[in-house]
Amino acid sequence: MDCIITIDIGTSAVRIFAFEMNGQAIGFMKGSYPTFHTEAIYSEQDPEQVFITVLYVLKNFLTEKINSRKYKVAAICFSAAMHSVLPVDKNGVPIGNAITWADNRGKKEADDLKKLPMAKTIYDATGTPIHPMSPLIKIAWIKRHDKERFNKTGKFIAIKNYIIQQLTGECVIDYSLASATGLFNIHKLHWDSNALDYAGIKADRLPTPVPVFYSSLHLRKEYQVSLGLPAKTKIITGASDGCMATLGAGVWGEGKATITIEQSGAVRVAGNKVIRDSKQRFFNYLLTEGYYVSGGPTNNGGVIFEWFAKQFGVFNEAYGMDDSVHTLIKDAMQAPAGSGGLLFLPYLLGERAPLWNANARGAYFGININHEQKHFVRATLEGILYEIYSIGKILEEHRAFSTLSINGSFASYPLWAQVIADMFGKPVSVNNSYDSIGTGALLLSQTEMGVYPSLEDAAKTVTLQASYHPNKNDHQVYMKYFSVFEKLSHKLRDEFEEIALLQNL
Amino acid sequence: MSQLFLQQQKSAELNPFPHIAAFANRKIQHIQFNSFVKRISDSICIYYISDGKFEWIINGRAFSLYPGDTAIVLPGQELGSEKGFLDPGALAWIEISPQVYTPAGSLVLGSWSGIPENDSKAIGKLLSLNNVSVLSKLPGAGHVFLQLQKEIVDREIGYTVRVNQLIDELLIHIVRHLTRQNNLQRDFPQTFMKLEQALRSNLDHQWMVEEMAVMVGLGTTAFTEKVKNYTGFSPLHYLINIRIAEALKLLKNTGKPVTDIALETGFYSSQHFATTFKKLTGYTPRQFRINNKKNT
Repeated sequence: MDCIITIDIGTSAVRIFAFEMNGQAIGFMKGSYPTFHTEAIYSEQDPEQVFITVLYVLKNFLTEKINSRKYKVAAICFSAAMHSVLPVDKNGVPIGNAITWADNRGKKEADDLKKLPMAKTIYDATGTPIHPMSPLIKIAWIKRHDKERFNKTGKFIAIKNYIIQQLTGECVIDYSLASATGLFNIHKLHWDSNALDYAGIKADRLPTPVPVFYSSLHLRKEYQVSLGLPAKTKIITGASDGCMATLGAGVWGEGKATITIEQSGAVRVAGNKVIRDSKQRFFNYLLTEGYYVSGGPTNNGGVIFEWFAKQFGVFNEAYGMDDSVHTLIKDAMQAPAGSGGLLFLPYLLGERAPLWNANARGAYFGININHEQKHFVRATLEGILYEIYSIGKILEEHRAFSTLSINGSFASYPLWAQVIADMFGKPVSVNNSYDSIGTGALLLSQTEMGVYPSLEDAAKTVTLQASYHPNKNDHQVYMKYFSVFEKLSHKLRDEFEEIALLQNL
Repeated sequence: MSQLFLQQQKSAELNPFPHIAAFANRKIQHIQFNSFVKRISDSICIYYISDGKFEWIINGRAFSLYPGDTAIVLPGQELGSEKGFLDPGALAWIEISPQVYTPAGSLVLGSWSGIPENDSKAIGKLLSLNNVSVLSKLPGAGHVFLQLQKEIVDREIGYTVRVNQLIDELLIHIVRHLTRQNNLQRDFPQTFMKLEQALRSNLDHQWMVEEMAVMVGLGTTAFTEKVKNYTGFSPLHYLINIRIAEALKLLKNTGKPVTDIALETGFYSSQHFATTFKKLTGYTPRQFRINNKKNT
């Protein structure tokens, strides 16, 4: 029987799924790789280790779940984390480690560009907010601060491009991943000349952009042998993880939005028009030609709740983080919606959308003598979700939505899902994020192979049950406190600058 | 407990214990100049402070020691006080001469010890990798010293066995406490990252799961399960990933002989390297290198 394999090269791990042609899941396997922080603001990965991990997991997966069960691989489709930059030399050999999305070394380059009128032109053309995460900024940084590496670099590629190049010999980038580089014109589908000028490179130093359905790739002979795959196995370039997750959540067209909360988080909508935000707060990434996934990312998702658990949670066993988080969530349920007026600003890692302020910091506000530990736990959780809501609220000014689907390990805790439903005042359905990235890649592959006439038809097959309904009273409570939360986030701007300077981070 | 100062070859009490270079329980009431000048230790010295405050230099770092603290000085490390003498106070110590100890962390305690060979290797690696000389409030240490003294002095039946067991016990206390002091056992990703770094910087070492587990402060079963959940790989498979990735870089970026690369990255032999490498990439390392040149 034929099957489809999806490979997601995520921030910390590769996740491989297999599906039968009708969409029935066959199996899953993951393998993680490390991120190195040689300096506090650096965030790097070893491309060879990522490649070996992909290869290792793929080989084990094929041996255990596919070849041994007489499945035949009809297609392999890729998705990957956005914004990585890997300089490779003229021969395609990596020069040092890849720089990941979380790397902040380009803070000054981003600030400098933001002050220029060209910033708006570039943002409008490329859809990527001007931020250190953007490959545009990272390449500019390498040019300014690491001239030797810059000069040696034949091409600046993404980790995903490297993996595909190793497996097939071709150096291509799909429109979707290209649209997250800050260098790609999302309207005209070619590298943007203004952005290239600012980065200080010509288009020939970037991979060749291809559609997400591009499948004229062939596995190298040696991998056909070592993986036991036939030469004709179809390799589909695929899209970015964010776009895949949106497609996999069935978000296509008006009226729908999706929220992801893992360590970080995001609120996304999709449609055939870009969102033109005068304050440049939202991204517009390409899912495919003429179809855009728009929204805002937050740095401060589940990572903040885990931070709280680490400091104040109970650990009954060594490294029992899950257990500790569970217990805290139970504690939080003992406190009323709104945490009795205790507010938490979750900006421990600075913030991207909607503040776009790397110097923002966290705070508990409104503490009174009646507040107990449970109020702090609940306030922490609510603070993270007020922040998600604040992105959603501004997004709705551009694009109305009436239903929400949520995914990711944190969003699927019932309390989190209920609080999201109450804050937004909208019904919420839950699906699993890794599933939704894998499902997105499956839908894209099925469309390429003619199972569905279009991605739109494919997206319609995703059905989600509304499992959480908003509670009107709680909604009103949250709205009152949110107004204070929002004001505080803006009012503290000067103090954020001051304290960040003192903290020297 | 009365004061005591036993030294190998000088004190008959230590005759049954050739591996104990010295054992002492001292109360310092008067300062004796030049009684504690800096010197390089040739044994594993474990000090337990029961009274007073001491300012010592251990392995180039300054420490203030308070009652309840335990100091560990490894062979080759320097110990002493800037002033050259011991301040008033009370302390006990034991100096153990292992059969083998290298700065890289090879440790063979000797036939007197009941600690199995693999555990003793793991202990050696942990001690050498952790730049920790002082453990604060090591539970049980004071009690072990009291017991040791009692057994050595009283010579009740079975005392030789008990003394050796107590030394083993002390070492086990130290090692278990060391990992718990180094990490709060809350943040597995962070602790795993530290282990990752240790693996990377000692890639040619023949790592055993026991050694890795002890660095994280878990038993091997719990450790293997945690790593499997977190990375998707067993600890040894994860290590092979790192080895192959490093080998790939060396094959691409250097002209080093394949055998050298194999040993540098921790494979037993070039044969072992070639087999593992081919299984994954479809090429032997030599073919890979030739092909990589051809492609470019």
